[in-house]
Amino acid sequence: MSDDAVPLWRRTGVDLRLLLMCVLLAALAVGFHVLSGGLFLTPENLYNVAQQTAVVGIVSTVMVLIIVARHIDLSVGSVMGFIGVLVAYLQYTSGWSWPAACLAGLAVALVVSIYQGWLVASLGVPSFVVTLGGLMSFRGAAFLVADGKTQPVNDAFFQRLGGGYDGGIGTTWTWLLAAVIAVVLVLRMLQRRRARAFHGMPNRPLWLESVLVAVPIVAVFAFAAVMNDYRIGDKPQAQGLPIPVLLWAAVAVVLSFLVHRTRFGRYVFAMGGNPDAAALVGIPVKRVTLMLFALLAVLVTIAAIVSIARLNAGTNSLGTGMELYVIAAAVIGGTALAGGSGSIFGSVLGALIMQSLDSGMLLLDVSIGKRMVIIGQVLIVAVVFDVLYRRRVGDN
Amino acid sequence: MSTPLVQLRGIRKAFGGIKAVDDVSINLHPGEVVALLGHNGAGKSTLMKMLAGAYPVDSGDVIVAGQQVHIRTPAEAQALGIETIYQTLALADNLDSVANLFLGREKLTPWRTLDDDFMEVQARKVFQRLNRNFTNIRVPVRRLSGGQRQVVAIARALYFNARILIMDEPCAALGPEETAMVGSLVRQLKADGVGIFLITHDMPDVFGLSDRLAVMKNGRLVGTYATADVTEDQVLGMIIAGKRPEAIAETARSAG
Repeated sequence: MSDDAVPLWRRTGVDLRLLLMCVLLAALAVGFHVLSGGLFLTPENLYNVAQQTAVVGIVSTVMVLIIVARHIDLSVGSVMGFIGVLVAYLQYTSGWSWPAACLAGLAVALVVSIYQGWLVASLGVPSFVVTLGGLMSFRGAAFLVADGKTQPVNDAFFQRLGGGYDGGIGTTWTWLLAAVIAVVLVLRMLQRRRARAFHGMPNRPLWLESVLVAVPIVAVFAFAAVMNDYRIGDKPQAQGLPIPVLLWAAVAVVLSFLVHRTRFGRYVFAMGGNPDAAALVGIPVKRVTLMLFALLAVLVTIAAIVSIARLNAGTNSLGTGMELYVIAAAVIGGTALAGGSGSIFGSVLGALIMQSLDSGMLLLDVSIGKRMVIIGQVLIVAVVFDVLYRRRVGDN
Repeated sequence: MSTPLVQLRGIRKAFGGIKAVDDVSINLHPGEVVALLGHNGAGKSTLMKMLAGAYPVDSGDVIVAGQQVHIRTPAEAQALGIETIYQTLALADNLDSVANLFLGREKLTPWRTLDDDFMEVQARKVFQRLNRNFTNIRVPVRRLSGGQRQVVAIARALYFNARILIMDEPCAALGPEETAMVGSLVRQLKADGVGIFLITHDMPDVFGLSDRLAVMKNGRLVGTYATADVTEDQVLGMIIAGKRPEAIAETARSAG
């Protein structure tokens, strides 16, 4: 097969599936906008959708890797509840400063996650079973921390981490950030081209790469403009990018980097693609599995902090049922439950699609029951699409 | 005769109550091809997996280039220059050929990130050497033909300069042209002084490529003979009935 036989869209390196999902997301947004009489594509609604998706989105990024490695974690909602209550309890009842409380929460999350990861990696207990147990146990632990009592968090700075009234980074920083992203994208493209030329490898046409870089830059600036256009009530300054979304974006960038540029990411994919081969070529499978669960702990802690900061309290029911949304976002984003394939950016789109559906239907006054029925079926449609798509492209 | 590259002494391995490998001793010299023969389940693959670090040895000595070694992981085997081409090829189907070639031994940049460009350039060179038509090295290996997949697996042994090469049924999935390619590669590596253990069921391979052959049955070694000293019928007799041919000297070449 020579390179000429490859269709153009594949030579561009653009993932067709992700492109389709972007189109779907845009179609959903326009559809809801029209049906709701112009309520969906407003700065206020988009700000809220982005910010509401952040907690699920943060955990989804790492759930992609867990599923890629042929594991699952059903306990993320419960562990997030447990850590959330703990961090709130340490601040409110024990009087710790918020950084100390967060670090303690991280430490406990690491212990929990490495305990579960150790059962999976070293003893070979299926992660489904380990984390199903965890789903129960850590919900119970969330209750035990404060004996079921709600723990308010009052620190003004801490509350900003959850978005809300003072939870945006402001217009100046938002524009600056967008500009930095644009510069980084362009520099990275140029550096890639120089490196390929240095190694004597052919480069794709400059116009093509310019388009591929221009599209995300335009998207970033459009998003920044929308976030900078939103004012809460009669607050004089515009919000800018909400901090939870900033954290989510940072998490997604870091995880994408891990996937594409580090050994760890490559090993996770190799273990998912062929566990036997991974062991035979000398990949330290146990260690990588433990590191994966440790990474999960870090992100669950971040999600827990954002959640309690957003609610201004830690309650023992925090994150109930969240594991299903997290897994659904990963799956809608094209992560195969059989392992070995998935993408971080896909999970971002998956989480946004789910939240857009939910918010859009809410704007249309669809009842909670009907919304649940529909979102559940959308998940199935996503999996059916996944199966058909792979059959067609030849990735089974 | 020089020091053997590999000396396996009284190797045993049991899974539960079943003795998969029972007191087996074999030597391998530089530039020598030793064919390992036997039925499925005779213990050939298990023996080789112990040398490759995939299974720990229950008892017995493994001596590589005169040094007694304890190989506990595949990485330790690789560090000793032992490369293995598994029958299953041990490829991660979702990764491309370059990633598979370097899997477990990625080249890193000074910033500890993957040096993809370096790896792609190197991979292209090795693959070219094995098959000039193999250019789509950046697609997942599941989309490749059986022969191309084999090239990726063989390229690992070649690129990392195997001293000792274990080939488990290297031609089982190949067409005639690719089988000939593997044959010429074996001769070339042999000339470079690489020692090769060749697990196979194919008699033409045995008589075409090997210097000596060792037959196993039910975990035990039936005998080791110079390939030139025995006939195909005698070899089949050893494999099927475990019967040693009469009046032919064994060539264990155990003397150092």
